Amino acid sequence: MTPLGRPVEEDDLHARIDGQLARDRAEDVDAYLATHHEEQARFSQYAAQRQALRQALANQADGPIPARLRIANLLAHQRQQRLRRFAQIAAAVGLIVLGGIGGWAARDLGGSSGSLSPGSVARMITADAITAHRIFSAEVRHPVEVDAGQEAHLVQWLSKRLGRQLVVPDLASAGFRLMGGRLLPSEDGPAAQFMYENGDAERLTLYLRTGVGDETAFRYHEEGGIGAFYWSDEGFGYAITAKADRDLLLRIAEIVYQQTSPGGAKAKIPPAPGKPS
Amino acid sequence: MPAPTRILAAEASLRPAVFYRRKGTAMRDQTSLIEAHIPGLRRFACALLRGDRQGADDLVQDCLERALSSWHLRRAEGDLRGWLYTILYNRFLSERHRRGRRGVPDASLEAAEAELPGVDGGQDWALEQRDLLRGFAGLPEEQRSVLLLVGVEDLSYGEAARVLGVPIGTVMSRLSRGRERLRHYMNGGVDGRNAEVRRVK
Repeated sequence: MTPLGRPVEEDDLHARIDGQLARDRAEDVDAYLATHHEEQARFSQYAAQRQALRQALANQADGPIPARLRIANLLAHQRQQRLRRFAQIAAAVGLIVLGGIGGWAARDLGGSSGSLSPGSVARMITADAITAHRIFSAEVRHPVEVDAGQEAHLVQWLSKRLGRQLVVPDLASAGFRLMGGRLLPSEDGPAAQFMYENGDAERLTLYLRTGVGDETAFRYHEEGGIGAFYWSDEGFGYAITAKADRDLLLRIAEIVYQQTSPGGAKAKIPPAPGKPS
Repeated sequence: MPAPTRILAAEASLRPAVFYRRKGTAMRDQTSLIEAHIPGLRRFACALLRGDRQGADDLVQDCLERALSSWHLRRAEGDLRGWLYTILYNRFLSERHRRGRRGVPDASLEAAEAELPGVDGGQDWALEQRDLLRGFAGLPEEQRSVLLLVGVEDLSYGEAARVLGVPIGTVMSRLSRGRERLRHYMNGGVDGRNAEVRRVK
């Protein structure tokens, strides 16, 4: 006990009844209270009222958690809403493309990205994805860095580089199989590219990058016969790029979205890399 | 909704490393991690709204929906409880602000009367509890929230300060004023408005 330590103040007395004092200090405070009867009376009233309030409120949190507050129900609801919203926006993007607006989208492509508005991030990533697609889908000998034969390694490596657990979508239902992937530099940290091929040797790439913020954005852009459908979800930006075929890209985008969004039903779950979450 | 954005932006700047695939074990973890705090969140919301249970569950639902949709922005090793209480408190403030602007009167005072526990068989403690809750409902919101976080939810002063977005010194002075005002009320004062806290020097 150090009775001549720091003087005991009002805050110490509150901390005493809230159990937030170290033991030494609590002893100082108790010694102080033993000789200051007015404070002692006041703080024992505070303490009694604190206890009574706890008791009075305890029953308000009693009882089972109502169904509408169960996490499983909230997640299911959220999933439905996301899918519905995605479908609506995808349909809207489809209509815009039908209206021949592709050229309009190109006019501000390549503009500087001084601000980080969702639109400029989307433009930047879409342009990067198209460039990367153009370069690597033409490669005959080295289209990918790590091929699909080492898929587990590929996923683990790219997840580590991007700092987030990646999921490689399975596009077999659209006739595309995974060839492999590569790591790419981008203006804002690393990006990943997965390449797929169908029976007609047509290639499709999925480009993804983190750090796009929390907003959801959609965008379709065509350039020189290459089309890219971009969206962002939970801080991830995705671009599906292939020869310009709006229907195909939308269909693939929907498959990818279903598999990568937290509620997707048939996602391929890669082996957990390193530490579990 | 300026308040929640502030928190989420702060969280987001810390570390983007959260885990994307949440199925199986991770999904169950998220569920059980959050659900452990639901009783406390309901209690806090109910007391903030002076006993309006329906409104309290609306508020908790809003809070949980936001927590789930921004789950990937939270720090994996961060303080989940503090984060949830912060979201809830910010929702409470913006809802109140919205109502205030639309001129909707604060219905929760009447709700407080209606929802106070009944008095069975004239038990003294029930009368006193009823009285205490009435006195508590009469405190300014900023004092109520501190008394709840610290005295009922067992947050440390530092955690309470973060939830409320104020310095610790402000938490301490609100705590001191709130407790004195409640004591004054329970000792027969009309309310504690004129009660002076004697600082111990």
